[in-house]
Amino acid sequence: MSILEVRDLTMRFGGLHAVDGLGFSVAKDSIHGLIGPNGAGKTTTFNVISGFYRPTSGRIFHEGVEISGLPMEKVADLGIVRTFQHATLFRELSVLENVLIGCYSRRRTGLMDAIFGRWHKQDALLREEAEELLEFFGLAERADFPAGNLPHGLQRALGMAIASAARPSLMLLDEPFTGMNAEETLVMMDLTRRLRERGVSILLVEHDMRAVMGLCDCITVMNFGKLLAQGSPDEIRSHPEVIKAYLGGGHTEA
Amino acid sequence: MLAIVPEAARFRYLLAWTALAVLLCALPLFLSYSQKEILVFTTINVILVVSYRHLTLTGEWSLGHVVMMGCGAYGSALASKQLGLAVPLSMLTGGVCAALVGWLLSYPLFRMKGFYFLIGSFAAGEVIRLLWKRFRDPFGGPKGLKRVPGLEEFEFAGLRIDFFDPVPYYFFSLAVAIVCIWLLWRIERSPLGWSYHAVHWGDDLARSVGIPTRRLRRRAMVTASFFAGISGALLVHYVGTVNPSRFNVEEMVYVLTWAIVGGVATLYGPILGVVSLTIVNEIILREFGLDQWRPLFYGALLIASVLFLPKGLESLVAPARSMLSRLWTRSA
Amino acid sequence: MHELLLQTFLNATYAASYIALVAVGLVLIFGVMGVINFAHGELYMLGAYGVVAVYVGAQQSFLLAVAVGLMFVGLVGLLMERALFRPLRDNPLSGLVASIGLLLILQALAAIFFGVRMEHIPPVTQEVLRFSDGVSLPLQRLFVIVAAIVLLTGLWMFLKRTRFGWALRASAEDREAAQLQGISVTRIAQLAMVIGAGLAGVAGALTAPLVRVYPYMGHSVIVTVFIVIIVGGVGSLEGAVIAAIAYAFVHTFVTTFFDGVVADIVGLLLMLMVLVVRPTGLFGARDRA
Repeated sequence: MSILEVRDLTMRFGGLHAVDGLGFSVAKDSIHGLIGPNGAGKTTTFNVISGFYRPTSGRIFHEGVEISGLPMEKVADLGIVRTFQHATLFRELSVLENVLIGCYSRRRTGLMDAIFGRWHKQDALLREEAEELLEFFGLAERADFPAGNLPHGLQRALGMAIASAARPSLMLLDEPFTGMNAEETLVMMDLTRRLRERGVSILLVEHDMRAVMGLCDCITVMNFGKLLAQGSPDEIRSHPEVIKAYLGGGHTEA
Repeated sequence: MLAIVPEAARFRYLLAWTALAVLLCALPLFLSYSQKEILVFTTINVILVVSYRHLTLTGEWSLGHVVMMGCGAYGSALASKQLGLAVPLSMLTGGVCAALVGWLLSYPLFRMKGFYFLIGSFAAGEVIRLLWKRFRDPFGGPKGLKRVPGLEEFEFAGLRIDFFDPVPYYFFSLAVAIVCIWLLWRIERSPLGWSYHAVHWGDDLARSVGIPTRRLRRRAMVTASFFAGISGALLVHYVGTVNPSRFNVEEMVYVLTWAIVGGVATLYGPILGVVSLTIVNEIILREFGLDQWRPLFYGALLIASVLFLPKGLESLVAPARSMLSRLWTRSA
Repeated sequence: MHELLLQTFLNATYAASYIALVAVGLVLIFGVMGVINFAHGELYMLGAYGVVAVYVGAQQSFLLAVAVGLMFVGLVGLLMERALFRPLRDNPLSGLVASIGLLLILQALAAIFFGVRMEHIPPVTQEVLRFSDGVSLPLQRLFVIVAAIVLLTGLWMFLKRTRFGWALRASAEDREAAQLQGISVTRIAQLAMVIGAGLAGVAGALTAPLVRVYPYMGHSVIVTVFIVIIVGGVGSLEGAVIAAIAYAFVHTFVTTFFDGVVADIVGLLLMLMVLVVRPTGLFGARDRA
């Protein structure tokens, strides 16, 4: 049973086909990588799945429910939550408050609830949840830190914590390892695996080939907006088309 | 020893609030008749500017907010004149009218953000003002509505309270203002209010975890419009007339000035702005007969404050308070 | 009926000319500085008072009065850049708020110097071009139309043909990229302010004998121009011109067949409709979010 299915997805900007008839699916409880040379359309694919863009054509299903064309907040409501390439946080708020806002997205407080204070009990529960998440992501000691002052690696972890707070069934990670040193990368890989153990399927876009090969169960390779290959890391590593695309593109991060 | 500190702090808090309450109650004793009238208007303006700040929580600055006040004024005036509603009820009706208009306008306006929202809200406000001007029935055209009934007098413990007098009306508006501020405070200090902050500081991030940012902006606008409407209703039943030019851009600029000079990061910032500017305005300009210089003064102040005090008067409060508390501990 | 239509057409052409002048100036300032100049209507008002001072007051020729209006308002624009927009460059919302402050100051100064009464400016020429019985065009209006065409064409040539013009457009499209090309951002900002303000001033000066000149005359102009730039797309000069023409025609025709207030309402509703259907305006590519 696949958690995400992309069928014949096309995204055009003006005359440019950023994504062109792409189709793939992500298996439940897997870590799935989406790779390709620069400009292959990975980030655009991400933005379309998460509802940031409306696709020009094609359909996207999440656990059998069509989500293509829905706005980002609806997609998130249905259980697909993304993180951002650049650490996007509520920089003015504390670490705990950042995660709490992620929690609030599920339990909404109405105007009357706010005025009559009918949120305190629920808030206590959410706070517990948020603290548990901070523990999980190794941020517990810095709960009261302003988010903007966290070191880079922890900002990334916080971004994932905020996303997890919305209880997604599928998390989209946009280049989670960019700008990280080897040690931070290992920590992040470990986090990603443990997240999967909690029942969150993961789709990630990444340039760091070592991380992708070490982490993913399945990899989809894109080139010029089209599907180039799909398979296990070993299959991809030895796939002639993939090697050609990467060498031809002059892209040798692998 | 450690337990005493919060005790002392609580005592100081209590003292400060009591002092404020006494001051607010005793204030009319020291003022002339015209100053008492200004006290009433200032109280009404406090509601207006606090409601304005509520919308800025989501990061949007409107230029149509005084028109929302106007919707409350017209709505309440018509409800009491045409439908014969009791004034307190018509005031609520006015608030609801403003909220409704805010809700309708929010659909086109929140297709935009930032600048575009600002200009759009300005234009939308102008449409409403033009409608008041154009439709003599029921809005009375450019001359507006006259002879709007005042708040009904009533007897209390043998005392007859007449709301044409500024002092009773001041206490009435003060009570309404306190309720309004308290309600807005409750909303701000709830998960809903925190979500507003999230909408302000990270729209995309908020949407990515499923927070419906547009709907929240809309809700903030409807809430803010409601309270602006209440302030308009308070105004119209005191002065007894209402016309479209009372809610023109110049008035909007005053509200903007109060908010910017006071600062909008805290609830008390805008109140500080409206109170201090009213005092300066009344003492300096009126006493010296420089009333026609008021726009010049406000314009210069607006520029000076964005250039030299971008965080508003409220940014001076924390240093002042710590200085006071140092003085307090030294003398104790 | 036929004549009425033709006459309305001429009136609309006249309205489109001066609205386009003011709107293009505002768009230019927004493009380069990133700030919406709320005091733009007051720059128009200053141009009109330039005519009051030079043509009516000092009894000089109208042409000289227009030139003085242009230069004076251009200078005011330069001062605005230096005193307000440059220090607030990183914070466009503050720039806008400051321009609102300036709006109040300019209105108050005009009221103090000239009084709040409407000025009567004798027309430069009483001559009227008569096409047929009910169709005529006062020569004064023709001046405005011709001047607008000449100025806008000149601006267009300047933007397309000269190095400065190229830099101006580059900087309006992408400020950082322009900076990388070694274009002095300050110089470009000054240029944009002078041209933008000057266009508003010239429009005010040219129309002064045709409209009611008083300190608060900028208000209706700024409302109109905001509608025009939103409909046209806030970053687009061509859009501003086309939207100015469209708006002027709709407004003039509705005024002729209904009345002025209805025309204002229709104009504003049109703007709100454009926002709903196409938030970036008809010609704007820029995202408004």
